[in-house]
Amino acid sequence: MVDLKDLELPGFIVERLELGVFAVDPDFNVMLWNRFMQTHSGKDLESVQGQNLFEIFPELPQDWLKRKIESVFALGNYAFTSWEHRAYLFRFKHNRPITGGVDAMLQNCTFLPLKDSTGTVRLVVITLQDCTDTALIQQRLAEAITISDEERRKQQELIVKLEDAKNQLFQSEKMASIGQLAAGVAHEINNPIGFVNSNLGSLERNVGDLMKLVNAFEKAEAGLPPESQITLKRVKKEIDFEFLKDDFTDLIKETKEGLDHVRRIVADLKDFSRVDQTGWQIADLEKCIDTTLNVVANEIKYNVTVVKEYGHPPHVECVPGQINQVLMNLLVNAAQAFPERGQITVRTGDEGMYVWVEVEDNGVGIPPENLGRIFEPFFTTKPVGTGTGLGLSVCYNIVRKHEGELTVKSEVGKGTCFRLSLPLFHGKLDETSDQTEASTVNAP
Amino acid sequence: MTVSVLIVDDSPIARKMLRKALPADWDISIQEAGDGVQAIDIYRQGGVELMFLDLTMPNIDGYGVLEVLQAEGLNCIVIVVSADVQPQARERVLAMGAIAFIPKPVNPEGLQEVLKQYGILV
Amino acid sequence: MSLRLNEDQTAALQELANIGMGQAGNSIARIWKEFVHLSIPKINMVESTRIPELIHGYVGDTEVSASRQAFHGGFRGEVLVIVTSNDRNGLAHLMGYEGSLDIAEREEVLLDIVNILGGACVGGIAQQVGAEIGFSAPSLIGEHLNPLEVIKPNQLAIETALSLEVRFIVENRSLSAHLVILLPNNEVKALADLLDQFLCTL
Repeated sequence: MVDLKDLELPGFIVERLELGVFAVDPDFNVMLWNRFMQTHSGKDLESVQGQNLFEIFPELPQDWLKRKIESVFALGNYAFTSWEHRAYLFRFKHNRPITGGVDAMLQNCTFLPLKDSTGTVRLVVITLQDCTDTALIQQRLAEAITISDEERRKQQELIVKLEDAKNQLFQSEKMASIGQLAAGVAHEINNPIGFVNSNLGSLERNVGDLMKLVNAFEKAEAGLPPESQITLKRVKKEIDFEFLKDDFTDLIKETKEGLDHVRRIVADLKDFSRVDQTGWQIADLEKCIDTTLNVVANEIKYNVTVVKEYGHPPHVECVPGQINQVLMNLLVNAAQAFPERGQITVRTGDEGMYVWVEVEDNGVGIPPENLGRIFEPFFTTKPVGTGTGLGLSVCYNIVRKHEGELTVKSEVGKGTCFRLSLPLFHGKLDETSDQTEASTVNAP
Repeated sequence: MTVSVLIVDDSPIARKMLRKALPADWDISIQEAGDGVQAIDIYRQGGVELMFLDLTMPNIDGYGVLEVLQAEGLNCIVIVVSADVQPQARERVLAMGAIAFIPKPVNPEGLQEVLKQYGILV
Repeated sequence: MSLRLNEDQTAALQELANIGMGQAGNSIARIWKEFVHLSIPKINMVESTRIPELIHGYVGDTEVSASRQAFHGGFRGEVLVIVTSNDRNGLAHLMGYEGSLDIAEREEVLLDIVNILGGACVGGIAQQVGAEIGFSAPSLIGEHLNPLEVIKPNQLAIETALSLEVRFIVENRSLSAHLVILLPNNEVKALADLLDQFLCTL
């Protein structure tokens, strides 16, 4: 059995551990100074024993350290410092003379109250622990975490982009299948509509002829015997003849209008479903815009100003007639966005392999719940009978067939901005060119 | 002569602790009050010679009781017994008429000293 | 096992805690050289799920910083300090930090505040109750926290706790901080035994 007293264990612990141990009295005089402190400070025991700590080491942070020690004397409980907040108490050389990596020794300190039998704190013992190695490891860990977080963030961004691309693809496919449906419907309706239209014309003429006869009879009415006149008057009253004459005209007119509407729908449906692969030309988009502005001049009220911010991009390969149709739709939509006055701004520019046109209005804007649906066929917020609701869906299809992009941003009360972008060349796009790079957010 | 003592503190434990710290062979009769209002009532009934008064009580606190006592002639000796041991509290109650301030936890020897000093205990 | 303090034990704890706060306030005033006030501790048994709203109740809808320190010995638990940024900065000046603080100093201040306030208050109570208490190193919970986020109940090791809530005020400088001393319910018995011992002496 080992007798601890022979080995002087406590003394060994204080002196020989790789731990700085020193103590001060209430006047900050040094009463204990172990081997670690001696070696690292370069001051041996004789030179510090009984001396004021702050006179021996004037570089110590005096105010803060005095209060720290005083609080331990007053409260009688431990206090701590951590290298993370205060790199060191004493500026000692670090323990990596060869490998380096740090400026000075990083230290954790503990302040312990040493009490006598009455519970009064007589000394504060301070331990100094070299944390340089731990600190370096922690630092490296922190750096690794930062890098990993950055990677994760980039991954998230990529996921969002992929989601966007998926949604756009989905939208395109939806449009394509609707296009096929539209073609079929248009075809089926065409004949019956033509039939009805022609019959309506005949009906109008026939009734017109009948009315000629009735008028002739009316003129002859006066010469008829009184009983016949009375009978005729009674029948006229019964059938409400006067009203009938007027009503007939209205009925014919409205039926004609209805038929016209149906024919417009059929024409638009055909447009929507058919996009010619021929007719490709190199065109100047800014000229197209100017032409279209002339065409729609009547639609744009006098108190709507059109501002052009042309960036003079290169010419693009496209089917000009169809692009004009798209431009016309966008401009007319913009013109209809103002209850009173407003401004339409048309901008052009190019970016990479794409040329873009923006049509922006500061009108009423599109509510968020509608924004995702405006390219849907037959989706319209206009009253029944006005417009076909096919305009933007046709545009979307045209742009898609051009391998371009049609996107929209809008804020209720602030305005709407449509952005049309077309590739410079048709069908010669590089496989790797990133569609999403040239895209703006599709209908937020 | 039996000294009539009133212990005022809202904590029954505190009142017990004070009782325990009183000199063992002292000839006294003890009443207790759990709040300032009760204390003033008992005081007004007359006869209280020595009052041990806590400071932190709900409704009327120790300072409030001292105020009333001062206004009504301060007809008894008041010793404040309080956990709030900072100098300001002590100064304030002495200025308001208490003859002494005893910090909690009550030290029996310290209490005896005060009682002797003011001739309450011989 | 959910143990509550009975009426006598609670009354005893209330009075001993009051006395402890008086001692603590005195010690802190000597260190920080300012008149300080520690409120009478509010004692409650609280379910861990309700601790966030309890903390929110102390400070309202304002951003806070919080730090914590564990204590052990005669009874075991943790003390939290919750303080607004302004109060933290004010207390820093009280503690000898000058000028505006960098992030390391701000964190160090929060650790020192809990070390001193927690040490004084828990130590004060321990002394009255007759327990020997030691403390671990303090650590930071965070800065710019929503009060409801200071404690996340699902990350707590306990379901119920005995809580003592103390408000610390430096009147001259209009500074205040909130302390919450929490004892897990399975530690309450140790405290209850100490309180019973004390009650026996009365």
